[in-house]
Amino acid sequence: MQEEYKKGILDRLADKFVDALGSFISLFKKDWKRRNRSKMEEWKLMLYALNRSPPGLIGLALVLVFVFLGIFGPMLSPWNYRFFPSLYNPDTYLAPPGSEFTLNVTELRNGQFVNYVTTIKFPLGADHYGRDLVSLILYGARVSFVISIVVIVLGVPLGIILGLIAGYYGGKIDELIMRITDMFLAFPALILAIAFSAVLPSRLQEFISSHEILKQLTLWLFALKPQDAGNLGKLLAVIFAMIIVWWPAYARITRGSTLTEKENLYVEAARAIGLSSWSIMFKHILPNIIGPILVYVTLDFGGVILMEAGLSFLGLGATPPIADWGRIVYDGSQYFPEKWWLVTFSGFMIMLVALGWNLLGDTLRDILDPKTRRSIEFKVKKAKQMEEGEENA
Amino acid sequence: MSEPILKVENLKKYFPIRGLLRTVGYVKAVDGVSFEINKGETFGLVGESGCGKTTTGRTILRLIEPTDGNITFEGKDVTRLKGEEMKWFRRKAQIMFQDPYSSLNPRQTVFEIIMEPVRFHGIEVDDPEEFVIKLLESVGLNEMHLYRYPHEFSGGQRQRIALARLLALKPEFIVLDEPTSALDVSVQATILNMMKELQREHGFTYLFISHDLGVVKYMSHRMGVMYLGKLVEVGPADKVFENPLHPYTKFLLSAIPVPDPELARELKKQRMKVEGEPPSPINPPAGCRFHPRCPFVKDVCRREEPPLVEVEKDHYVACWLYAKS
Repeated sequence: MQEEYKKGILDRLADKFVDALGSFISLFKKDWKRRNRSKMEEWKLMLYALNRSPPGLIGLALVLVFVFLGIFGPMLSPWNYRFFPSLYNPDTYLAPPGSEFTLNVTELRNGQFVNYVTTIKFPLGADHYGRDLVSLILYGARVSFVISIVVIVLGVPLGIILGLIAGYYGGKIDELIMRITDMFLAFPALILAIAFSAVLPSRLQEFISSHEILKQLTLWLFALKPQDAGNLGKLLAVIFAMIIVWWPAYARITRGSTLTEKENLYVEAARAIGLSSWSIMFKHILPNIIGPILVYVTLDFGGVILMEAGLSFLGLGATPPIADWGRIVYDGSQYFPEKWWLVTFSGFMIMLVALGWNLLGDTLRDILDPKTRRSIEFKVKKAKQMEEGEENA
Repeated sequence: MSEPILKVENLKKYFPIRGLLRTVGYVKAVDGVSFEINKGETFGLVGESGCGKTTTGRTILRLIEPTDGNITFEGKDVTRLKGEEMKWFRRKAQIMFQDPYSSLNPRQTVFEIIMEPVRFHGIEVDDPEEFVIKLLESVGLNEMHLYRYPHEFSGGQRQRIALARLLALKPEFIVLDEPTSALDVSVQATILNMMKELQREHGFTYLFISHDLGVVKYMSHRMGVMYLGKLVEVGPADKVFENPLHPYTKFLLSAIPVPDPELARELKKQRMKVEGEPPSPINPPAGCRFHPRCPFVKDVCRREEPPLVEVEKDHYVACWLYAKS
């Protein structure tokens, strides 16, 4: 039990990172670093705890890779997802991993036909349009990334706000909000999402087609070509459907935590000062219950990606040729197991990302909980005292 | 000294008990309490757990809405205050809580905790940091503690922070809701002395709620004894202690521990015997609420509630032993 605490390379990196972050914030907020020394100390402790959890580090690495691919994937992609090699060379149809083909391409550029010869490599194989799977996965990363962020960013705050209001005011307001929440929770989330994503597309397509700026923005976000503007409706429908099924769970947890938190005397002290209910909810209660909610959010990033893949697999959501991991698995399943690579590699990506978020979420739960963090805090303090003792001697 | 800053008349607070569909009864936590507090004095409120003393304190500050009764603070009817006037009242009347471990937001630094009321009430401060440091010094903390979080402090220190938060608003009336019962004895003494000191300095008026008779005697000028939602005896603290009139007060006073075992044994022989537990405030006994446990019970006690009568100057008691039916 008498394990000594020694700072490793990662811990020193964490120190540097937090200090740099502090200095960075101080550029905008005067004296921030000096005033928030305690907070920075706590952040360092959290990072030390993270450094001591291999699964957490693996999760973090996976998530960082996913975020990187989500942002830069389409730019790194060797081929455009709308480039169909099977038009020029029928042999590229479902070409196996590692194969290489020469293409005689004729393209329409600025109103003129251009002819050129190029070679295409398929490190992970090709799909039924002869498209390179590596490129598809890179484009698909962007789609998954944007969908998960949008669903979480819109769905979670909605749930949190409703949960806070229900928990804080109680009584009839609570009843009203929670009964509506119950209505949504009464159906299995996937079934409800299927229903919504089947009903919504035409309306959304109409809407997005009539708003040029929104259309361009959405295309840019998903890294899609203008030719796919007609397919946006289904993609947006899936996002909408998932937001609709995602908030009730958050309303539930937030309400529960609010109920326990509002019994604390500092809430009453804030009322005695005269603060409005609104600022008590958001400035006093919310910061104290956000920890467990953040853990949930992290775990749910994986959940959103899985559900999105599931919906695409069922033929809802992204329509070909839009590259989407779930859709690739669906298309590939018709050729499985002879042409195994489509299902395997895209399925593997889905699994890795979901795994990454889950590992990170589990670790976050541990390090955000002061009870499990206590032991490391204790060791760090002891190590610090030893260091100071040496300096004094 | 003599003008009342706060006047409470016939204050009632009933908490409804909800059944499946309708209200099935009420917890009569406070049931017709009247008293006055003069400017600059400390009014002690004692009683056992569950007698409604904390509810009284919170209802006066309208942290809980009263069911019935009047509360007059500096000539204004508190129960009807709204908007700007309510804000004024919030600034003038403050509360200090029993539990220092939950009365400070764990996510705020000491600086934020103290500055929040100041900012909200728009009190102009030249240099916030200096202002907070001065307040901290006045409660025995220092500059070093400015940007720390509550979990880095001990119970006594937290109570000091809570006190500094009150002082920032410069209130006139403070409800002290058992402010020291969560602290150990030596810390209690320092905090109590500090409060007395601050009262002398700023002329605060305190409503001191406690179940600790010794502390109440030390702190209060006048005091009230509560039993099951009602005041049974009100009077100057020294008179109540020297000459307790109500049987319940006598019983309470005889239960104060004595630090001398010889004397304690002697006293135990003559101690007043009161049987049983206090009845439930959902269904309080008819007549005098103390009658099921009172050794001097008479017929009239079971039928009619005793009025509050003045027995000696400023010393009131609600008991049929002193009143004429």
